[in-house]
Amino acid sequence: MTTPADAQMLGLGAVGILGGVGLLARGFAGYRQAGRIGDTATSRISGLAVGEVRVSGSIETAEVQLTSPLQSRPCVYYRSTVVQSEGRESRRIFHEERSVGFRVRDETGALRVFPLGARWDVPDRYMDRDGLMSGPPAGLSLRVGPSIRMARTPEDDQSDPIRAMQIADLLTVHGTTGGDNSEQIIGAGGQGRQYREAALEVGETVTIVGTVLRFDQLADPTAADQDLAIMEPAGPGAGDPEIAADMAEAREAGTLADDARSAWGNAAIPGFGVGRPVTAPTLDPDATAPVIEPGMAAEAAQSAARTFDIAADTLVLAAGADRPMLIAAGTPGASAGRGAQSFLIGLLGAVLAIASAVAVAIAITGGAPR
Amino acid sequence: MNPLSIAATFALTVLAVIVVFLVVTTYNSIVGLIQRIDKAWANIDVSLRQRHDELPNLLSAVRGIMSLEQTVFEEVARRRAEYRPTAPIPDQAATSEATSAAVRSLFAVVERYPALLSQHNVAALQAEIARLEGIIADRRELYNDSVYLYNTRIAQVPAVLVAWLFAWKPRPLFTAEPGDTVRPDVDLRFH
Repeated sequence: MTTPADAQMLGLGAVGILGGVGLLARGFAGYRQAGRIGDTATSRISGLAVGEVRVSGSIETAEVQLTSPLQSRPCVYYRSTVVQSEGRESRRIFHEERSVGFRVRDETGALRVFPLGARWDVPDRYMDRDGLMSGPPAGLSLRVGPSIRMARTPEDDQSDPIRAMQIADLLTVHGTTGGDNSEQIIGAGGQGRQYREAALEVGETVTIVGTVLRFDQLADPTAADQDLAIMEPAGPGAGDPEIAADMAEAREAGTLADDARSAWGNAAIPGFGVGRPVTAPTLDPDATAPVIEPGMAAEAAQSAARTFDIAADTLVLAAGADRPMLIAAGTPGASAGRGAQSFLIGLLGAVLAIASAVAVAIAITGGAPR
Repeated sequence: MNPLSIAATFALTVLAVIVVFLVVTTYNSIVGLIQRIDKAWANIDVSLRQRHDELPNLLSAVRGIMSLEQTVFEEVARRRAEYRPTAPIPDQAATSEATSAAVRSLFAVVERYPALLSQHNVAALQAEIARLEGIIADRRELYNDSVYLYNTRIAQVPAVLVAWLFAWKPRPLFTAEPGDTVRPDVDLRFH
């Protein structure tokens, strides 16, 4: 007969087996990732050849940059999660992962990176929780305004780019009703919340294993630069069954349109959270071209060339046809070290699973064998 | 089968999975390293060929004005003629280093002829060869890093066992032996 203590032991043993096997699987993934980074020598950007390479350098913004939701950091990638604890239950109330194209620079040059479909190895930098009585943690600085904004390059202000960014921030009118305003989505704060955020900030060291190819060989350069949140095939959150159920319910109630076209016509603009235009625009042949001052036109053209134009034969870094790009925070050694650490934890998981299996067996047989 | 036997079988299965994973991953990793070394070498070879093809253009462009610099021309031409794409890697490394040294000497001599520097085609050829020299240096570094990773890996556990099983040997670095890269004796005095 099974006693409550035995049942408890069986339960714990089952959790130990499953948890241990799960840790082992994660360890295998970490080992493979560490191998992929550690087995590739770092290429200098000036001597790149087409094919798979590893480059390491500091992050520079390209056309646009992101602002992280929980710490309002300027970055090119973020992953933010808020978990609400209610008694013994906890539920994820916010999760957002986004990236935009950027440049990586080493001592020999810079390379444009198109991160579509990349695997990101970026550890959490910010982990905090609400105080019992004091409300939101001091380090929480919820984003006010849009998540994507135009990036300013050092060429825009040779004297002091950071100061220029600060001035631009001060001069920007931040709307209070922005669609991706974190404060509106998450709320000003609460009790029993855990906050986690990982971000790749401008100026940080990053290691990338990806495929170098000519810009004109990218299958779809526009798509390659889309951020993850709006590139999900069925829309943001489609992979989450809870969100999918909410969306189905909203469609049935008639509060959610079937597709972007019926909701927005041709007004869906990438970067504003809706998606790309649903039809090609029709230009009026009789429309009068706007008059641009000659000096302004030259300046605008230079600025556009600097920020947007990529020559067809320029080498860029993107995902390969058969291997995804891997983008890891830190130097190659740091990234490979994280993978090796994950493998060691996986081995401990294997030990845990075996020990749990033995404990379960002993519980079932009713005691240690004599 | 009693529960303890099942637990023992589970433990052995977990251990077997770990061992198989390590063997397969190590094998794939070393095969990947070998492929990267071959690719890195192929990329060096492309750059060496490009330099080999570009050098006569530069020599013919400057030969008319620099007729007194026969030593430099002969040295560059001799080193260029030593290029053998099928030679062993250390021999090619020695030839490449010697050619680079000769080219640097040629550039140093060209600097003394303002009339040459003002010619657009000479400047362009010089820039192109300097660019190729830079690319060769970068790719040589990548090749040597890849060889270093491979040679280190096949000497470590557990890869050493797999390497022994498949008879994988260390690869040579792309470096010249001391003495193979003696700088050509070029007279840099103004004539």
